Amino acid sequence: MTPAPFSENDLLIADLRHRLAEAEETLRAIRENEVDALVMRGPLAEEIFTIVGDTESYRTFMEVMEPGAVALDGSGRVLFANSTLTQLLGKSLAELQGKLFADGLAAGTGQAIRQLLSDAGTTRQSREIRFSRPGEADLHFIAVASPLRLGTVSGHAVTFADVTERVRNESSEQSEHAARAVIASANEAVLVCDREGIITHANAAASIVYDGNPVGQAFAEIIPLVFRDATGVLQADDLVAVVTTGTPMQGMEAVAPNAPRVKDYLVSAAPLRVAGDRISGAVITMIDLSQRKAAEKQQNLLMRELDHRVKNTLTLVLSISARTASNADSVQAFHKAFSGRIQALAATHTLLLERSWTSLELRDIVDTELAPYVETTADQVTIEGLSVAVTPRASIAFGLVVHELATNAVKYGALSQPGGHVTVRAIGRRNGAFVLEWLESGGPVVLPPERKGFGRTVITRSFQYSSEGGAEFDFDPSGVVCRISIPSEDLC
Amino acid sequence: MTSASRPRKLILYVAGQTPKSLAAIANLERICAEHLPGQYEVEVIDLRLDPKLAREHSIVAIPTLVRELPVPLHKIIGDLSDTQKVLVNLKVGNSV
Repeated sequence: MTPAPFSENDLLIADLRHRLAEAEETLRAIRENEVDALVMRGPLAEEIFTIVGDTESYRTFMEVMEPGAVALDGSGRVLFANSTLTQLLGKSLAELQGKLFADGLAAGTGQAIRQLLSDAGTTRQSREIRFSRPGEADLHFIAVASPLRLGTVSGHAVTFADVTERVRNESSEQSEHAARAVIASANEAVLVCDREGIITHANAAASIVYDGNPVGQAFAEIIPLVFRDATGVLQADDLVAVVTTGTPMQGMEAVAPNAPRVKDYLVSAAPLRVAGDRISGAVITMIDLSQRKAAEKQQNLLMRELDHRVKNTLTLVLSISARTASNADSVQAFHKAFSGRIQALAATHTLLLERSWTSLELRDIVDTELAPYVETTADQVTIEGLSVAVTPRASIAFGLVVHELATNAVKYGALSQPGGHVTVRAIGRRNGAFVLEWLESGGPVVLPPERKGFGRTVITRSFQYSSEGGAEFDFDPSGVVCRISIPSEDLC
Repeated sequence: MTSASRPRKLILYVAGQTPKSLAAIANLERICAEHLPGQYEVEVIDLRLDPKLAREHSIVAIPTLVRELPVPLHKIIGDLSDTQKVLVNLKVGNSV
């Protein structure tokens, strides 16, 4: 006998089994804390019984709390958030509920919340949290997480107390400390004035402009300023008035007549903006210009000196040119003699430049001027006692004299033939002047010259700018002798 | 392969915004998006608003998820935090 495939009994049993399985599943879910509400059949209709209890009461309580507050389940999902917090986050309660709270925050803030919840497993924990807002200043909160049990659910209550104001105050206090440190460490005098021009801060370097404590005094009264190139219109009190309208003024040269030591300053002033865009005063810096002024003075002096020397040199060159021309037999002769003399002049100039136009030793001048013709270390030349320093004026004159004596010796005298010899030596002081001697020997027999050429003119006139100075010749047949007196005023 | 051309319907019974109800909604949304995209359409019924609706599927504990089709009808009771259990129950009888 084959049994009927689906008897009524079978269907009944299957339905009962299904119901039993469902009943067991329901019990399991209740036992394992997976449900928090039950449907009860009341006398009239079904009613919902919440195992958690009345969720409204804790929500009402959270809602009236002043700080932002959120209730989270054990995995960090939002159960409820009060309106302070929803407004802060810019999201509705519906958008937040059921979602992981930390995921809805900026990365850094979310991580801080996760850490806070992890730390607050069984005890209350707090930490500072920052909410960044695009285009606006950050907000700072003290977040406190406390373990919370709502019926069957274990989670956390987190409150957010706004401490932005306090953090901002601390930050502006730090900024002010930093600003004070910057002002204090500046090398220049820095003075800060309020809008009325009363000094509120001054650094140590400000003692250069005012001898005493400038704080509390009117800037324009204690440090009157006279601005150069300002035709007297701009005064110290105008400076503060102009700057507090928002116009910075930079790099104005001014004299502070009442300043204790230095009078010349480079003055700059900038508007002081402490909170936002409001100008609350002026920051004035005054840089000591005395060194720059001294440098400018020195430069002017040098310029005048240079002008003087160039004019002297040009006059000398013109004179050399005229004299050389009057004695030259041909253009070639003129060219040769003139070039030689200008080169002699240039050689002394080069030496002087190397010594910064201070002084030269006679020995160095002789070396330089003889160099084109003969080695001064050679047997033909002896130099004695010429380690004497002379002024640039005497150096130039002496250079030209040695050049003329040397060219003459090379052409006609001791250096024109082998065996000739030149001695340049100190003789000593005579009437204050320093006397030295150019002595030729071993050359051709000397005859007194028929005419007085430029060379001799240069030599004899060289040092006649002073009564002590001059030069004299002795055309001894055995060799030319020239004694040169360098005035004592040119000895260094 | 599912033979349905339209998404099948899942009904989630919740009780207002109790913690488990909120968790069940969030978990179901996540599971559907991550594992079953486009296969199911979810209807959330808040029994606080109309407790009578519990009769249709004889709901006792909340939250409960009901899958009507394909037969047999399946109920998953709890906050759906066990993803594997939910997937197993939803896929039963799906391959036709």
